[in-house]
Amino acid sequence: MAATDGSNSRSRVWGSITLAAIALPGVMTAHAEEPPEKGLIAFKYLQYKDSQAVDTKYPFYDGSEGNRLDRITVKAPSLYVLAPIGRWSIEGSGVVDEVSGATPRYYSDVSGATKSPGMEDKRKAGDLKLTRYFERGAIALGAAHSTENDYKSTAVSLEGRWASEDKNTTWNLGIANTRDAINPVNEIVVDETKRTNEITLGVTQALSPRDIAQFSLTHSMGRGYFDDPYKLYDHRPRKRDINVGMLRWNHHFESLSASVRSSYRYYSDSFGIRAHTFETAWVQPVMSDFTVTPSVRYYTQNAAKFYFDPVVDTAIYPGPVGNPQFSSADQRLSAFGGVTAGLKFELRLGTWVTDLKVERYQQRSSWRIGGNGSPGVDVFDATILQVGLGTSF
Amino acid sequence: MHHRTFAALLLLSACLAGCSVFQPPQPWEKGLLAKPEMTLGGDALEQRFDQHILNSKEAAAGGSGVGGGGCGCN
Repeated sequence: MAATDGSNSRSRVWGSITLAAIALPGVMTAHAEEPPEKGLIAFKYLQYKDSQAVDTKYPFYDGSEGNRLDRITVKAPSLYVLAPIGRWSIEGSGVVDEVSGATPRYYSDVSGATKSPGMEDKRKAGDLKLTRYFERGAIALGAAHSTENDYKSTAVSLEGRWASEDKNTTWNLGIANTRDAINPVNEIVVDETKRTNEITLGVTQALSPRDIAQFSLTHSMGRGYFDDPYKLYDHRPRKRDINVGMLRWNHHFESLSASVRSSYRYYSDSFGIRAHTFETAWVQPVMSDFTVTPSVRYYTQNAAKFYFDPVVDTAIYPGPVGNPQFSSADQRLSAFGGVTAGLKFELRLGTWVTDLKVERYQQRSSWRIGGNGSPGVDVFDATILQVGLGTSF
Repeated sequence: MHHRTFAALLLLSACLAGCSVFQPPQPWEKGLLAKPEMTLGGDALEQRFDQHILNSKEAAAGGSGVGGGGCGCN
């Protein structure tokens, strides 16, 4: 999360973009216990841009803020390679994230945001994964590393998959350990660390010749520094335990030659956050080599138990009332709902495949389901573009 | 995780595996399930990209595997 602007680095927001940058069609196979038949090399370019409305009149609003704030822009070229070697496969990727822009340091108040031209940041990251395939299973060992000016992360993982004799049921178990080193440029802390252990258990079931479903549970135990060092009044517990339940279901319509992909995720953590995510996509071949995929996603969460709403009193704002042990004015920990609408085009020409995906994302307090959204947080928008080109060998 | 929600997810999962309205495929009936778009997680790497973006803008994250590496995005 390197930053050239010590007053407000938001590069951490984009630190995790790395592995995402290697997303390309057809990389993963349906049969996890079978080694890939061909290698793959692929390039993908990602562009992201977000902005927010400036509607809320915060206590220090003076009328000069304009009606919209352009926030973060990310450009991320990346490369992915997969090579099968007999009953083994090795895959790896690399990416460079270039991040620029600014975000508020509390709520969506632009008076706390870095002024133009804002911060700039570059992040480099890579990962490797080695997989050994057996007749009815596979074991994979993975490692990932990313580095920025002020944030370094190293992760190792081990995953096993076992299939039933008829291969209609597959169980998977995975564990991972991640170690992060945090040195924000404002030196609010020095040599902070965060360690996370994860375990996941899942089952995949072929329900019919046209239906396949998967259910998984994941538990994560994090210890260390969870504050955002670039936000004001951000003091979070040094422990964050997370439970996630995920259900996926794919169905194929033979009459339309189309497939529908759906998922639901339940999330809860020790910060007091509960979230629900619903997602579906319709994969429609238009011609033999051309596919169009519209998609929609809905997300809702309540606020973290230490998130505090804006205080009107200028003697207190933007801080919390009193002196709580934990506090945050990070809008990502507020109560809100979010909707994503996407459209993807994919064209296959021989061994080559190219794709274009455009998504629009919007976040609103009023879109929360199951309770009120947090007051005093403006609408947030993002546009995401992905362009990919890959070939098998 | 709320126990009621957790129990509901487990029940739903059990129904998926045991519900009699479904007839698990024979080995020669798995052609449709082998299509790329029928792969769970789909284009897994693209899914991961999408997830990482959203994880940096929302409090919830995870559920699609482990070991992706840490970041300061949350």
